[in-house]
Amino acid sequence: MSGFLIRRILSAIPVLFVVSLVTFAIIAIVPGDVTAELAGAEASAEQRDQIRRQLGLDMPLWQQAVNWYGALLRGDLGHSWLLNRPVTEAVLERLPVTLSLAGIALVLAVVMGVLLGVAAAIRHDSWLDQGTMSLALLGLSVPDFWFGLILISVFSVGLAWFPTGGYVPISEDVFGWARSMVLPALALAFTQMGVIARMTRASMLEVLGQDYIRTARAKGMLRPTVVFKHALRNALVPVITVIGVMTGVLLGGAVVIEQVFSLPGVGRLIIGAIQRRDFPIIQGGLLITASIFVFVNILVDLAYGWFDPRVRNGR
Amino acid sequence: MPKNKGVSRLWRMLTVTAAALVIGLADQSAVAQTAGGDLIVVQSSNPPSLDAMVTTSQMSRNITMNIYEMLYGFSEDIRPIPILASGVQISDDGLTYRFGLREGVKFHNGDVMDAEDVRASLARYKEIGGTKSMLAGVTGIAVTGPLEVTLTMEKPFPGFLEAFASPRAPAVIIPAEEAAKPANEIAFIGTGPYKFVEYVPDSHVKLERFAEYSADTRHSGIDGFGGKKTALLDTVTFRVIPEPGAAVAALEAGEVHLLEQIPVPTARRLAGNDKLRIYENMPWAFLTFIFNLKEAPTDNEKFRQAIQIGLDHEEIMAIATEGLFNLHHGWMYDGTTYDAGEIGADRYNVADLERAKSLLAESGYSNEPFSILTDSQIPEHGKAAVVIVEQLRAMGINASVNQVDWPTALQIRLQDNGWNGWTLMMGIEPYLGPEAIVSAFAGAASHFRAPDAELDALYAELVATADLAARQAVFARIQQRFYDIAAVIKLGENGLMQASSAAVEGFKPFRYPRVYDIWLSK
Repeated sequence: MSGFLIRRILSAIPVLFVVSLVTFAIIAIVPGDVTAELAGAEASAEQRDQIRRQLGLDMPLWQQAVNWYGALLRGDLGHSWLLNRPVTEAVLERLPVTLSLAGIALVLAVVMGVLLGVAAAIRHDSWLDQGTMSLALLGLSVPDFWFGLILISVFSVGLAWFPTGGYVPISEDVFGWARSMVLPALALAFTQMGVIARMTRASMLEVLGQDYIRTARAKGMLRPTVVFKHALRNALVPVITVIGVMTGVLLGGAVVIEQVFSLPGVGRLIIGAIQRRDFPIIQGGLLITASIFVFVNILVDLAYGWFDPRVRNGR
Repeated sequence: MPKNKGVSRLWRMLTVTAAALVIGLADQSAVAQTAGGDLIVVQSSNPPSLDAMVTTSQMSRNITMNIYEMLYGFSEDIRPIPILASGVQISDDGLTYRFGLREGVKFHNGDVMDAEDVRASLARYKEIGGTKSMLAGVTGIAVTGPLEVTLTMEKPFPGFLEAFASPRAPAVIIPAEEAAKPANEIAFIGTGPYKFVEYVPDSHVKLERFAEYSADTRHSGIDGFGGKKTALLDTVTFRVIPEPGAAVAALEAGEVHLLEQIPVPTARRLAGNDKLRIYENMPWAFLTFIFNLKEAPTDNEKFRQAIQIGLDHEEIMAIATEGLFNLHHGWMYDGTTYDAGEIGADRYNVADLERAKSLLAESGYSNEPFSILTDSQIPEHGKAAVVIVEQLRAMGINASVNQVDWPTALQIRLQDNGWNGWTLMMGIEPYLGPEAIVSAFAGAASHFRAPDAELDALYAELVATADLAARQAVFARIQQRFYDIAAVIKLGENGLMQASSAAVEGFKPFRYPRVYDIWLSK
């Protein structure tokens, strides 16, 4: 297992290298730079050039990249030009918001999606099946920002159950944190719930038709035991694969949801940095986000072993 | 004619009762100015900086003008009035400005403001101020008394006090030890009615009432950027909510009190809601269409005149502003000091397609591409560009829209090539006065890319002219020049809709949300 883990971690390094390289390339292509923001409305071309020199933007791209990677090897992600603070500090400060949002959304999507999928499969071709699949289809079709606004309109403005937006740190108030996270996480989870429900249903239908399920039933085993212990465990293997990919989707979706619900997360930090061309934040923020995505996928690979003994035993 | 005594007595009783009621209500109103509470104001994006003197951002001004104060600022009717200054003595030759300072004004750190703080602040502004060119002609800033600072000018600058009072990147006064620090590295200490507490980017800025605030007792109430300010609220929170729909939902749910801006259709929808108040801040800005004089075909004056005659401003403004607009040809607001009358009215909103086509033919236009530069940050810019491009095509111009994000648009418009027309909303310039408007189009850094010599000469004349009537005459010639060369087209004037909870009392729309002299009803 440890060999497998080391291999996976080592294979993540080229992935992250490519991510940072692509980010560099995109930054080089995009017109506009931070000097407009830093130099002020009245700055002359000379003053802008001076700022470019100070920030090292006048260097060839390869040299900028070498400097950045050199600093990265020393554990330094750079300094934000506009926030005037280390990138690592700025990103890590926002990370709890984004991780809370994506984490809760993932749990909601998986729990609701699996339950809906199982319900649809065991009542195949019934009204329950049609109803749950229609709901899943709705989740897949509705844009998450629109669904977020509808949730605000109904549950915040209409019923006043939840705040319309904003973030309460868990360290300040656990209940307040939970209240501030429910609607954004639900909005983010809704689309992914549809994906998981449809996949679980398809997978369960296939497994429920297997001989060992019929045998288990024939031996007089209780239906819930058959469904949840024998069928679902096997049906979940493809679902787990989707969860790995979904982490990336949720981290990406969090950018939009953070806007709608005014959450000070990493997504908004990066969007703001893009709008104002604060390159160190873009570069560092994307690298940290990509690292999380890679790390979650390693966890998913490890989870296969738990669900599928063939992987665990190396068969 | 004999009076009916009964009626007369009844009338007197009614009059006395009415008077008592009025007095009672007036007293009640005074009593109703309740102190305390946390006012939550919403704006759409982060302040790029809270170091007031280095930024020209409206999002920063909204907050910083409640924290810091200037020596001079604009009154409600846009005259420079002393705020931290006790007054100014200008020498007869116009080369020396001796600013007296109000006594006993305290900074938020408890120190009393003195002449050294003012000298250091102005010296810092001259180095790194967002509009430092206003101090370019100042050759000396000297402490000439414990409460007196003297500025020495290189040459007379009759409009200096107006420029100095500009809130665009305000020349605020901060403690001398802070003034020694580089841009964006100061502690946010001012003399204003509210002091800074915390800034959490993408979340909020929190201010707190400054208990030792030194109100300007020369006034009876607030007046523009100055006057007698009274902080009634315990705290003020500026929350950042980027999504307009979410901001309105927060207001409707009672979570926030004041929206710095709301979409016009939303304002119409909320107009009947008795729990809310809607404010129309009109006029707020000019929407303009600026040409690049270094790129064909807009380097051709006849071609530009064709566009000037062909554009239907009403259609552009109606769509770009969602219906909240004025059509006025003047390069200053109607009825204001520098309103130049009917000059240019005959060439404004003409929408004559046939004449435009004929002028195009005269210009020798041969289907060269015409690129309209616009951005996605300010919705009015993009919407105006979309309407303009259709109107230009109808005239027979090979036009297209290049919509990019704001930093990209700023970079492209600084190039001599790659764009022909640029949609730009000018908010603060028309408010500040003629110099601010003309300066954007004069000199080497003109928005036109190629300066117009005659316009530059007129600008220089305006800056050097002291007498009001003479200045008005110069500005009238400038307006004439704007229409003659057709290098920029004023499309119209747009407004700003704001909204508050009905619990917010005393709020008056202005260039920034003044959070003093307003209170929350219980």
